Amino acid sequence: MNNEILEGLRKAIKEYDNEKAENLAKRAVEEKLDPLRVLDAMTVAIREVGDAFGRGDLWLPDLVGAADAMQAAMPIIEEEIKRTGAKRESLGTVVAGTVFGDIHSIGKTMVCTLLTAEGFKVHDLGVNIKAEEFLQAIRNYNADILAMSALMTMTAPEQKKVIEQLKKEGLRDKIKIMVGGGAITEEFAKEIGADGYDPTAPGAVKLARKLIGR
Amino acid sequence: MLKGFTRNFKPLEILSEEEIEAIHRGTLSVLRKTGVRFESKKALKLFEKNGCQVDYTDNRVRFPEGLVEECLQKCPSSFRVKARNPKNDMIWGGDTVYFQALSGTGSVDLDTWEPKTPTRKEYYDAITCLDALPNVHIIPWYTPWFGFKNIPPVMAMPEGLAARLRNSSKFTCSNYSMGCEVFNIQMAKAVGAEIRSSMAASPPLTFYEDAVENAFRTVEAGFILLITSGSVYGGTSPATIVGSLISGNAEIIAGIVLAQLIKPGTRIIVQDFSFPQNMRSGSPAFGAIEISLHQVAFNQIWRRYRVPIDGGVSYPGSKKIDYQAGYEKAITALIGALSGTNTIWIQGAMYGELAFHPVLAIIDDDMVGMIGRFLRGILVNDETMALDLIDEVGPIPGYYLNKEHTRKWWKLEQFIPKVADRLTYPEWLKEGKKDCLSLAKEKYQEILSTHKVDPPLTRSQEEEIERILKEAREYYRKKGMITDVEWKAYMKDLESPNYPYA
Amino acid sequence: MAKGFMRRFPPLKILTDEQVEAIHRGTLDVLQETGVLVYNEKALSVFKKAGCDVDFETKRVKFPPGLVEECLRKCPSSFRVKARNPKDDLLIGQDNVLFFNFPGTDTVDLDTWEPRPPTKKEHIDLIRVLDALPNVHFLNAYPYFGFSGGIPEVMKEIEGVALRIRNSTKVTIAIANNDIDMFTIRMARAAGSEIFANPNTSSPLTCYTDQVNACFLAAEYDLPSMIWDGATSGGTAPASLAGAVVLSNAELMPYIVLLQLLKPGARVAVANLVLPQNMTNGAPAFGEIGVSLHNVAFNQVWREYGVPTVSSSCGPTSSKRIDFQLGYQKMMPTLLSALSGSSILQLYSSIYGEITAHPIQAILDDDIAGMIGRFLEGLEVSDESLAIDLINEVGPIPGHYLGKKHTRKWWKKEQFVPKAADRLTYPEWVKTGKKSCIDYAKERMEEILSTHKVDPPLTRSQEEEIERILKEAREYYRKKGMITDVEWESYKKIIGG
Repeated sequence: MNNEILEGLRKAIKEYDNEKAENLAKRAVEEKLDPLRVLDAMTVAIREVGDAFGRGDLWLPDLVGAADAMQAAMPIIEEEIKRTGAKRESLGTVVAGTVFGDIHSIGKTMVCTLLTAEGFKVHDLGVNIKAEEFLQAIRNYNADILAMSALMTMTAPEQKKVIEQLKKEGLRDKIKIMVGGGAITEEFAKEIGADGYDPTAPGAVKLARKLIGR
Repeated sequence: MLKGFTRNFKPLEILSEEEIEAIHRGTLSVLRKTGVRFESKKALKLFEKNGCQVDYTDNRVRFPEGLVEECLQKCPSSFRVKARNPKNDMIWGGDTVYFQALSGTGSVDLDTWEPKTPTRKEYYDAITCLDALPNVHIIPWYTPWFGFKNIPPVMAMPEGLAARLRNSSKFTCSNYSMGCEVFNIQMAKAVGAEIRSSMAASPPLTFYEDAVENAFRTVEAGFILLITSGSVYGGTSPATIVGSLISGNAEIIAGIVLAQLIKPGTRIIVQDFSFPQNMRSGSPAFGAIEISLHQVAFNQIWRRYRVPIDGGVSYPGSKKIDYQAGYEKAITALIGALSGTNTIWIQGAMYGELAFHPVLAIIDDDMVGMIGRFLRGILVNDETMALDLIDEVGPIPGYYLNKEHTRKWWKLEQFIPKVADRLTYPEWLKEGKKDCLSLAKEKYQEILSTHKVDPPLTRSQEEEIERILKEAREYYRKKGMITDVEWKAYMKDLESPNYPYA
Repeated sequence: MAKGFMRRFPPLKILTDEQVEAIHRGTLDVLQETGVLVYNEKALSVFKKAGCDVDFETKRVKFPPGLVEECLRKCPSSFRVKARNPKDDLLIGQDNVLFFNFPGTDTVDLDTWEPRPPTKKEHIDLIRVLDALPNVHFLNAYPYFGFSGGIPEVMKEIEGVALRIRNSTKVTIAIANNDIDMFTIRMARAAGSEIFANPNTSSPLTCYTDQVNACFLAAEYDLPSMIWDGATSGGTAPASLAGAVVLSNAELMPYIVLLQLLKPGARVAVANLVLPQNMTNGAPAFGEIGVSLHNVAFNQVWREYGVPTVSSSCGPTSSKRIDFQLGYQKMMPTLLSALSGSSILQLYSSIYGEITAHPIQAILDDDIAGMIGRFLEGLEVSDESLAIDLINEVGPIPGHYLGKKHTRKWWKKEQFVPKAADRLTYPEWVKTGKKSCIDYAKERMEEILSTHKVDPPLTRSQEEEIERILKEAREYYRKKGMITDVEWESYKKIIGG
C-alpha cells in the first residue's frame, strides 16, 4: 500500500501529472507515511528526469513539467515535515530567484529543478524579486547558497545591489552566491563579487556542490 | 523617394481562407474572453470610456468585437514616412518591400568572434556604412549597437538617435526606456524628420506602463507607431505556431485599439518578433525555420487586416560569419519578402540580439539585392522571348554572346553582387583566395574614406540636438540614474577634441 | 520507399497564366520554325516516321506542334523508381519533394580551400556519407570524377558507378557520354536496381549521338529518364530570362518526343541547370539569383505539362569555401525551387561550381534540406493547435506555457532541430570551445564513417557480375583506342590486372 503511493508519486512526477502528484501527496499524509521517505521518492524521480535531460533524452518542457508536478505535492509534504518535526537531510539550503525588474523564469526554474534533484533544499522565490525579499528569505531559511538570475542587460546590475545589501547587513560572509542568466558573464560575476558563475543549468549544480564543498 | 522593391507576383501563402478565418475568430475570442492586462491607469480609463470591460483588480481589459473591427479599419493600409532627406522617404504597405539594418547589443571581434563593446568612433563609422549601402532603407533604433563605451546605459538611446541623425539622412527610429522618448521626439522634430517608435507587448497578454506611455507620446507627436509582440513559443506563448499567432495578434490588436482611440487614423505597422524556444537551453532559437512559418502565416492574416507589416527578423543562431549564418539569414529574409513583409530586418545582425558588425551589413546587402531582383520577377514579351533571335542563332555553333540583344538584356536581368566571390579558381588563386568577408572588409574601408552624409545637419540643427542631449544628461543625472563613476567617464568622452564626431 | 517531403500549400508562382501560355507557344514555334540538330541516324528515322520535317543532310529536325503536345501528354505526372532495397524506392512527382547531391570533379582541402583529386577511400567515404543521410533520396552520377592514381578518363565514371552500387543501396544515374551507359545500366541491373538514363541537351538546340542513344537504352531496358538542360543565359541562350526558358524547353522536347515515341508512357523528369553567364570572365554564374528566376518560371511551365522537374542549379555556388556566401547561395535557390514546385532538388555536397564537393558539405546541407522540408509541411490548424482554451487558462503575465502538457506534445511536432548547427548561447559556446557548424559536421562525419553499413551489401554473385561488366568495359574502350598504352599500364596497377 505504502509502496504503491510512493511508486505512484514517482510516476506522477515522471509523467508530469500535477493533479495526481498532489492527490498522492495528500494520501501519503492520510496514510501517515514518513514524510521524509515521501520526499526521497520525489527527489529520486526528479533526479531521474534531470539525468535524462543531461543525457539529451528529455527536453526543457519535460524538466519543467516534472518540476511543476513536484511543486504541486511539495507544500503538502513540507507541512507534514513541519508538523511531525522530522529532521530533513540535505546537501544545503538554496534561496533562488530572478532579480527585480526581470520576469524571465526559465533558466532559474531549470537550475532550481536540477538542484532539487541533486539533493539541495531549494526555496524558489520566483521572478521580479527585490533585494529586501532575498535578504528576508536568506534569514528565514538560514540559507547556505543564494542563486540569482538576470536575463536582461538592464537588470543585471540589480544582482550587484543585492550583494551590496548583504554586505551592509553583515550577511555576505555567511553565504555563497552564484549568479547566472543571459546577461551575465564570468567577468561580470567577478566584478560584482559573486562566488561563482556558470552558463548552463547542469554546470550550476556542479558549481553549487563546489561552493559548499560537498 | 526611395523605391525599395516591389513584389511583382502574388505573395506566398500557406494557409487556406478557412484557416485564416479560424485564427481571426480565435484572436477575437481571446480579446473578448481572456482579455489583455494593461499596467496603465490612463489606458484602462480610455478603454473603459470606449466600451471595453475593464477589471481594475487585475488590470484586465476585455474587448468587444465591434470596437476591434472598427479600430483595425482606422489603420491606413499604406502611407508615406518622411526621412530627413526627402529622397529617402518611403511608402509602406501594399506590395512594397523595404529593408532595415538589424542591430545587436555589442560589436564582435572578427578573429575571436567574441562580443565586445564598440567605441564612439566605431558607432559613428558603422552608421556611415549603413547610410552608404544602397539596400539599407531604414536604420532602426539601437542601430548599430545598444550604446558605446563611456556612455551611461540610460543615455544610450538618445545618444544613438543623435548619432544616426548626424551620420545618415535615411529614415530612422527610436524607442523608449526610462522616459527617454521625450528627448528622442524633440530631436527628430528639430531636424524635420519623422521617426517610428514602438509599443511592445510583454507576452503573454500584458502591456507595461512604459510601453503604453510611449504609445501616447508617439501618437500625440504624430509619428509612426510600431506595435509588436515577441514571445517564445512554448514559453510565453503556446508551443504551436498558430496558437502563438493568436496570442501575439491579440496583444497587437489590443495595442491598435489603444492607438486608434488616442488618435484615429494613426499610422501603424505591426510585427510579431517571436521565436521557438530552444528546448535545451531555454533561450530563443534564433535562425530556426519555424520563424519563417510564423512570418508567412502572420503576413497572410495582416494582409487581410490591411495593416503594413514589419518583420522577417534575420538573427542567425551561429556566432560567426559562416555557412550557417548565411543560410539562416537567407531563408528568414527571403520568406519574409515572398510572403508580404513590408519592412524586413536584416543587414548587419549576427548571433541573437547580441552582435552586429558593419562588415556583415555589407555582405547582407548583396543578399538583399538578390532578393530584390527576385521580387521583380520575369518580364515576358516578344523582345524577352526572343523567338526571332533564337531562329537567327540556330543550333551549335550559334551563340548569343556577341548579340545586341545580349548587350542590352543581360544588365537588365542580372543582379551583380558587390562583395561575393565570383571568380574562377585560377583567378581566385591569383587574387589571393579572397572570400566575401575579406572583400567586404575592403569595401568597408572604401565607404569610410569616401562616403558623405547628404545633407549633413545644419549648424542650427546640430546646436538644437546638442541642447536636447544636454537636457537629457542633466535630467538623468539629477534623477540619480547616472552614477558618479558613469558621469565622470561620460564627461571625459564629451571632452574629446572631435566631439561629437569621433 | 524513401520518404520525401510533402508540400502542403499551393506552389509559388511568378508568371501569369497568359505568360505561361506565351512561353509554351514560343517553345512550339522554335521547334517548328527553327528546329533542332540531331546527330543520330536512328533517331532521325524515328522522327521522320512520326511526321517531323527531317533534313537528313543537315540533320535538322522540325517538329509539328501536335506531335510535341501529344508526347507531353503521354508523360506520367508521377512515377516510382525501384531501388535495390525497397526502402530506397522513389516516388517522383505530385507534391512530393526529394533531394540528391551535386557532384564536384575534385574534393577540396578544408584548410587551404584548394581543389585536389580525391583518393579512392575519400571517394567511397563521400558515397557512404550520402548513403547514410536520410534526406539524400538518391545519388547523382560521380559524386567525384574518379579518384587519384591513374584511371583512364573514359573509365572514371564506370568505376564510379561500381563504387556507388557497392557502397549504397540508393538509386543512381547513368550518364551517357561515350556510351558508357551501355555498361553502367547493366551493372545496376545486376544489382537489382533501376538507374536513371540521362540524356543531356547541348545548347543551343543540338542533340549529340551518345545522348540520343541514352533514350534508346531507356526504352530497351524500361528505365526512367532524367533529361538535363544546361544552357548559359547570354552565352548559349538568350540573355533575357523568358528567352532562356523558351530555348531550354525547346531543347528538352526532342528527347521527350523520342522517349514517348519509343515507349509511350515512359517515365521522364526534366532537369534544369540553366545559369546566367558571368560577363566578366565568361564562366557560368553559379549561385546567382537569375538561377532561381529561371527555376521558378521553368517549374511553373512544366507543372502545366505535368512532367516532374529537377532543380539542378541549387547545388553549385561561386564561393570557394564553406562560408557565409555559400550558405545563402545554397539556401536561396533551393528554397525557391522547393516552394515553386520542383519534385527534386539537387543540393548536397557541392561547393564551388562543378569543381569541388565534400562530405562535410553534404552533412551541412542536410540541415538546409531539413529546414526546407519542415517549411513545406506548413501549419496544422485545428482546435488543439489554435489552443484558445489554453491561452485563456494561462492568461497574462505571470502565466507561462513551458510546463504545459500541450507544450510537451506540440513543440516536437512544430520544431525542426538541425543536426550540425550551432544552437548554443554565447556562454555555452565559449565554454564548449567555440565550435561552428563545420566542427559539428566533422563529428557527425566521423560517426557515420565509423558506424554506417550499406544495407544490404552486394551478394557474391552480384559482385562477380559487376566485376565481369567492368572487365568488359575496360576491354571495349581499350580496343576502341580510348585507353592509351600509358594509361593502361598505370590503370592495371590500380585494378590489380
